[in-house]
Amino acid sequence: MSREPVAVTAGPAADPAGRAPAGRPAGAPSRPVVRPGRRRADRRRLLEIALFAGPAVLVYVLFVLVPIGLAAYYSVFRWNGLEPLTDFVGLDNYVRAFTDPVFLGALGHNAFFVVMSLVVQLPVALAVALLLNRKMRGRTAFRTIVFIPYVLSEVIAGVTWLLILQPDGLMDRVLEGVGLGGLVQLWLADRTVVLWTVLAVISWKYIGLAIILFLAGLQGVPEELHEAASIDGASWWQVQRRITLPLLGPTIRIWMFLSIIGSLQLFDMVWVMTGGGPANASNTMATYMIDRGFRRSQFGYGSAVAVILFVVSLVAAVFYQRFVLRRDTEGALTGKGHRR
Amino acid sequence: MGTMRRAGALVALVASTALVTAACSGGGGGGGPSGDGNVTITWWHNGTGEPLLGLWQDVADEFEADHPGVTVEVSAVQNEELQKTKIPAAMQAGNPPDLFQQWGGGELADQVAAGKVMDITDQVADELDLIGGSAAGWQVEGRTYGLPFSLGVEGFWYSKAMFAQAGITTPPTTMDELNDAVQKLKDAGLVPIVVGAKDGWPAAHYWYNFALRSCSTDTMKQAGVDFTFDDPCFVEAGDRLQEFLDTSPFQEGFLGTSAQQGATSSAGLLANGKAAMELMGHWNPGVMGGLTEDGQGLGDDLGWFPFPAVDGGAGDPDAALGGGDGFSCSAQAPPECVELLKYIASVDVQKRFAESGAGLPVTQGAETSVTDPNMKTLLDFRNNAAYVQLWLDVAYGNTIGGALNEAVANMFAGQGTAQDIVDAMTTAAADR
Amino acid sequence: MTAAAAPGATTDPRGAPRRRPVRWSGPLVYALALAVVAVTAVPVVYVILGGFRSNGQLAAHPVGWPSPWITDNYVRVLTSSAFWSQVLASTVTALVATGGVVALGVGAAFVLARYQFRGREGLYTFFTLGLLFPLSVAILPLYLLLRNLGLLGSLAGVAIPQIAFALPVTIIILRPFLQAIPQELEDAASIDGCGRLGFFWRILLPLSGPGLVTVGVLAFVTSWNAYLLPLLVLNDPATFTLPLGVQAFSTQYSQDTAAILAFTSLAMLPALLFFTLAERRIVGGLTGAVKG
Repeated sequence: MSREPVAVTAGPAADPAGRAPAGRPAGAPSRPVVRPGRRRADRRRLLEIALFAGPAVLVYVLFVLVPIGLAAYYSVFRWNGLEPLTDFVGLDNYVRAFTDPVFLGALGHNAFFVVMSLVVQLPVALAVALLLNRKMRGRTAFRTIVFIPYVLSEVIAGVTWLLILQPDGLMDRVLEGVGLGGLVQLWLADRTVVLWTVLAVISWKYIGLAIILFLAGLQGVPEELHEAASIDGASWWQVQRRITLPLLGPTIRIWMFLSIIGSLQLFDMVWVMTGGGPANASNTMATYMIDRGFRRSQFGYGSAVAVILFVVSLVAAVFYQRFVLRRDTEGALTGKGHRR
Repeated sequence: MGTMRRAGALVALVASTALVTAACSGGGGGGGPSGDGNVTITWWHNGTGEPLLGLWQDVADEFEADHPGVTVEVSAVQNEELQKTKIPAAMQAGNPPDLFQQWGGGELADQVAAGKVMDITDQVADELDLIGGSAAGWQVEGRTYGLPFSLGVEGFWYSKAMFAQAGITTPPTTMDELNDAVQKLKDAGLVPIVVGAKDGWPAAHYWYNFALRSCSTDTMKQAGVDFTFDDPCFVEAGDRLQEFLDTSPFQEGFLGTSAQQGATSSAGLLANGKAAMELMGHWNPGVMGGLTEDGQGLGDDLGWFPFPAVDGGAGDPDAALGGGDGFSCSAQAPPECVELLKYIASVDVQKRFAESGAGLPVTQGAETSVTDPNMKTLLDFRNNAAYVQLWLDVAYGNTIGGALNEAVANMFAGQGTAQDIVDAMTTAAADR
Repeated sequence: MTAAAAPGATTDPRGAPRRRPVRWSGPLVYALALAVVAVTAVPVVYVILGGFRSNGQLAAHPVGWPSPWITDNYVRVLTSSAFWSQVLASTVTALVATGGVVALGVGAAFVLARYQFRGREGLYTFFTLGLLFPLSVAILPLYLLLRNLGLLGSLAGVAIPQIAFALPVTIIILRPFLQAIPQELEDAASIDGCGRLGFFWRILLPLSGPGLVTVGVLAFVTSWNAYLLPLLVLNDPATFTLPLGVQAFSTQYSQDTAAILAFTSLAMLPALLFFTLAERRIVGGLTGAVKG
């Protein structure tokens, strides 16, 4: 093979780890002149597509979509899991969910987590990433440590924090130790505090991902832009605001998408730390589904709640992609020069 | 082109690896006879730790030795997951284990209604003679679908030293006396009662006991059969519980304390001298022992008294609330499964069970192996009780039980009334 | 002016040594870094130290140094054959799942990135649907399916569904990578007579290394921590994976907390090790994804 990978860096739009030409490969393949051989070429192309994507589609359909479809099917029955599926109830389960104040409360809690995760994690992660976007000793070690909570399983993280947040546990002792003893609360037992506690723990777990993402995005902002701007007399803050942050835009927006979906599907940590309590004060749609549906042998109802959760996530995802990410895929901001 | 073959080869490799791993695998749930006349029994139990893990393995080995041609495949699964996830999934798939953990009550009734459990009435007549009334929780409409191996009752575990310190000379026998004791403990600066309300059921047990003391035995029995709770005694139970809650007898932050999960649980608090009393089942001393440095828990300092009588309640003061464990055979299991079940319920195995301290044996003749004085008190109370009611969330099945536990937890959090509890149960009953 | 420099660059374009003026003083930055590390790492350290205490110590004093230091928990875990068989089972499952996801995912992402055809965006959306549905609900029909296929009780019955469920995230991350490779390379390859497949195998795959490593690590960690699927599929204790191994310390009525903490600390290590080794390539990987 004559070409070598290093030739990639020569071209203008040529960063292998960087820019994606917006949604379409740069330069459409040239159309072949209509010839008798074209049909064979087309068929061969279809064969290639089938060969490459086929296994993935097959495995995915069989092990993901079929079970999901079946689970959605259960949602129109009342079913205790043991008897055969005979009790068809139509949309009753859905009506029941939407008229249950506990479910609506769970929906509200999910909305709280969606919004507050963004509000809390975004500025903190950005600030940390900006201020730490410097050559410093131990940067690699730092990046690794910051990412550790993300690597831990949610269950383990939940169990750990459960221990730490007990009355007179590590959290209380630390606060007292730094003289902030007045802030001590019943972190998991107080209904007005528990949501904030869970939010804090979730942020602890996922902020490392945000920091790493933003740090990596910042690496790609060219030094020359900063130098040019400060030669022109801009202060550090102005440089960040006018140049760095806008260029970080696509990074931030993708992270926000992942955060929103994650907040909607939240289950493991809440289940382990509070079980949805006390008195349903920290329920999410997923804990509600498991508790009311599966743990109470009401599989039809649980499946209906799962479908509602799916639809909510889908609406959020579609809405987000259409109105927020569209700017990126149309190349509005991806297209600035970037050289390594 | 070489690459095409290579791409295909990669896909084939992944696929064949998958198939090979699939081929070299064990089976699913049920065993049954294989072609050469050998019988395999799959056995799922919840004894993930010692001493039960070793005990059940010994039992399996001995059974295999006595029955050539029979293999017993034992699988120990964590209790909650076994009951709520693994067994239901296996049953729904039509792939149940042969011998499996059975907690009785409404859950068993549902399994029987779906035809998943073997009716063993005719084969265990001898064993039933020895087990007596304790087997009631494992029977549905007079037929037997499983055998218990442990049945305990609930009461207040307390620290004798703390009682002495507060000037309480005898354990309370009525609610008024209990309220007095709570007050005296508070005056002495001690935490009267500890409860693991985060887990839901420890709080719910208070309501169960009040219901048992407020409702006549017949009403309780009937409720476990037809799942209607119209009798006003059920609301009374909630009212009495509310009165009790109003005396603020619990530790700070009780809504966030777990019952047994490790160091900061209610059992841990009692074991380490941070509270005076806990309403809990027969397993508490064992749990507490594991949570102290010396492994002894409160040791000789530990005492037990039954749930006090309630003034004006229609319930029998000698009735006990309890629960236990047993095993059932699935409807598809081979006949050797019943033999294994009978062996587990035999006097010999029950004696070893009692010695291990893992629970209270049910087969007569085995209780001589119980040595701990507190356990003996419990055992006597259970055997002499006019009526032993299974935990209500087990007796009523997990649809009603889950709703009940949640409603009581709401009351503990100041969010529900006595009527709400009964309403929640009635609504859930309609959903069964 | 920030002092951020492209990794490894020590000279400016004219070849003169680059000066590195630092605007905000070092101590502030290091203090902040230390604070972040403290908040991040302290809970993990708590877990590790907890394994050196006894349950009695934990109950009497939830916060405190081990006194005395008890090595029994760690020793018990490390010397139990169950632990090592679980490590093996977890490793095999995770590697098969990772390999499968990367192989299948890169193929699908290749099609979605480099081919033009009607319904391409539809296919992409089709794959993203799998992200939005909770696994715990689909688990029951999945269990039935696995039973019918005879995969129950085997590690393949764990690995294959994991491959399937990891495909959406994998494809989402890989597609922009593969799109970024310039068309000129593809054209050059076809001029050389290589064809699409040759291009895929000899150019595209090597160039998308960071992306492949990224999705590989994410898939590995997800498989390593998976609990629900192995719980349902595996019956023979000899095939249990590490998350199932924790059950041994949790009985019907009590939990051996200290042992659980020790077990958890040890079980974390392989996943952390994997991440550390791949960390450099990951950061590059995620950068590519978000720019797309």
